[in-house]
Amino acid sequence: MAQVTLQGITKRWGAFTGVSNVNLEIADREFMVFLGPSGCGKTTTMRMIAGLEDPTEGEISIGDRVVNALEPKDRDIAMVFQNYGLYPNLTVYENIRFPLKVRRIDPQTHDDRVHRAAEMVELGDLLHRLPRELSGGQRQRVALARAVVRQPTVFLMDEPLSNLDAKLRVSTRAQLKNLQHELQVTTIYVTHDQIEAMTLAHRVVVMNHGKIQQIGTPTAIYDNPANTFVAGFIGSPAMNLLDGELQGGVFKSDNVAIAGLPADRNGPVTLGFRAEDARVVDADGAQIAAPIYSVELLGDATMVTVRTGGSLTSVKAEKDYRAEIGDGVGIGISPDICHLFDKESGQRVSLAA
Amino acid sequence: MKFGTFARFVAPSLLLMTLFIAYPLLSVLWQSFHLTQGVFETATVETCSPGFGGQVCTEEVRRIPVLNDKGVPTTKTTFVGLDVYRSVLKPESVAAAFSDTGNGLRDVLNIDFYKALRFTVTFTFITLPLVVGLGLLIALAVNSIAARVRGPVIFVTLLPFIITPVIGALSVRWLFIGDGILTVALERILNRELALFAQGWTIEILILFYRVWHVAPFAFVIFYAGLQTINQDTMEAAVVDGASRFERLRYVVIPHLMPLILFITLIHLMDTYRVFEEIIGFSSQAHVISLQWLTFNYLTPNDAGTRLISSASATSMLTMIGIIILLIPVLRRTWRDHRVGG
Repeated sequence: MAQVTLQGITKRWGAFTGVSNVNLEIADREFMVFLGPSGCGKTTTMRMIAGLEDPTEGEISIGDRVVNALEPKDRDIAMVFQNYGLYPNLTVYENIRFPLKVRRIDPQTHDDRVHRAAEMVELGDLLHRLPRELSGGQRQRVALARAVVRQPTVFLMDEPLSNLDAKLRVSTRAQLKNLQHELQVTTIYVTHDQIEAMTLAHRVVVMNHGKIQQIGTPTAIYDNPANTFVAGFIGSPAMNLLDGELQGGVFKSDNVAIAGLPADRNGPVTLGFRAEDARVVDADGAQIAAPIYSVELLGDATMVTVRTGGSLTSVKAEKDYRAEIGDGVGIGISPDICHLFDKESGQRVSLAA
Repeated sequence: MKFGTFARFVAPSLLLMTLFIAYPLLSVLWQSFHLTQGVFETATVETCSPGFGGQVCTEEVRRIPVLNDKGVPTTKTTFVGLDVYRSVLKPESVAAAFSDTGNGLRDVLNIDFYKALRFTVTFTFITLPLVVGLGLLIALAVNSIAARVRGPVIFVTLLPFIITPVIGALSVRWLFIGDGILTVALERILNRELALFAQGWTIEILILFYRVWHVAPFAFVIFYAGLQTINQDTMEAAVVDGASRFERLRYVVIPHLMPLILFITLIHLMDTYRVFEEIIGFSSQAHVISLQWLTFNYLTPNDAGTRLISSASATSMLTMIGIIILLIPVLRRTWRDHRVGG
């Protein structure tokens, strides 16, 4: 049993605060993804769990042990690094065996365990090679095998797919997901790629500026972003965010007028909606009417972008929709796809119905 | 690159290398097989001195140098094969030393060449691990101290390397010779009289100490630079995997520094096998000599005013052969790593 608990974790370097008061419960066997832009504190948080950094304040527990004072090797974790962190002078076999060797685990069992770990990540016939003779994807699989060989209670993965090319990233991602399902080990995974977060996670922690923005299942953070940061970070394309005025249930901005919104709040708000929830309609009577700024063919859809106020708003049209830049277009937005955020704080003020 | 362009780029350096390296080398090799001697002739000379009732003349047979047209003694260079090497290596004396009447190794080590070889080889192989080990130790220590004091510490550590070898050797000599302050201090501690320059082995220890002190900073700087390029992910992976400090050193740091260790070994072998300044600086000729010093000694005019150029050439060639033999294993290892790495 290994749930991971962070209580009031803070990391400061001099006057700079890297991670600020993070409280988090990661359940046993959960696949938790830390998601955020670079410099948001996600990697630092993971490194504190690993013991590679000491928190300035707060308490970290793995299972029922407080691990603040423990060396990384005593925390029963395994880590996969972005740059693989393999031992370049050792063969794949010796790389995978290394944790067993330095932990003085019964040498009789080594061969068996190494082969089992290598098979799990499909490395069987590469065992005698040196890391420099492997491709990036193979190297990362060696790092994975080295992590699983010891059967730790927690896996920590620090952007393990970032150095792989796009195609390999997709297949390795699937492999990772399957591996975690098979091993049933608590996993903490750091990434800046929201697609990785959506596809892999049981739950996602979205971070920015060292603070947790939202914790939730991928569906929850996609459908109900807690603030404009999460709304703008999750999804491809990200949620459209329009600044404007809400008066008597009507949202108004340049080229925009959406009626039927809650009437109990007046004043400046930020309105958000997802590109795939809106429709392209005739300009007459549409909620947004503006000339086309750009048309992008995505294959499964056509992305139409218009200028509204100071920002660009995108909407997905049918895949056979064609238009020229500058043509007038209308975007139909029903009030039930809209998310409202406080303009100052960016916090969500009412849920989409 | 086209061969023509390549040739034009390297031609100047090839020319200079031929002129200043290959030619002198070949010339030394040639000289070691030849002997240049003055040409003498036997002549009957009549010397007369005035006396009563006529001159007194005596005739004697003398060997006199043959003079050329300008009145300068002529010399003749003859090919002598391995004779010069034989005169340096003295195989008969070695054989005699190991015969029934000889004293074995002790006699051999009284022959100049073997005496020099013995010291040169022990010097090389004792200082090598000390320099590499000490250099690595200092590099690891400096790498783990606070960044703020690192600069000054590196500077101070480098000082022994900056000091001119002769001055450095002399300073150490003056610290220990006669009533030098360190000798006096040692005498106080050990409560006995010491004369560190009266016998070979104490001088040898001082020379070893001096060389390690002098060269370890060089190894340190090279290793320190190498430590900066260690893959941090690998280092942290080892920490998480459970490797102790020593295991990290053994499995991550040393393999990473291996090319540099080989480099230091290469440089150090070449340098120490040509040890020379210490012999002069410590004035140790009476007890301890090196191969380079032997060459130097042959080149210094002896009592008769002649320089033994052929013997000097022969010892030079033997020194070079020694260096090549020492370097072969290191170079083979480097070549193998290079091929695998490439």
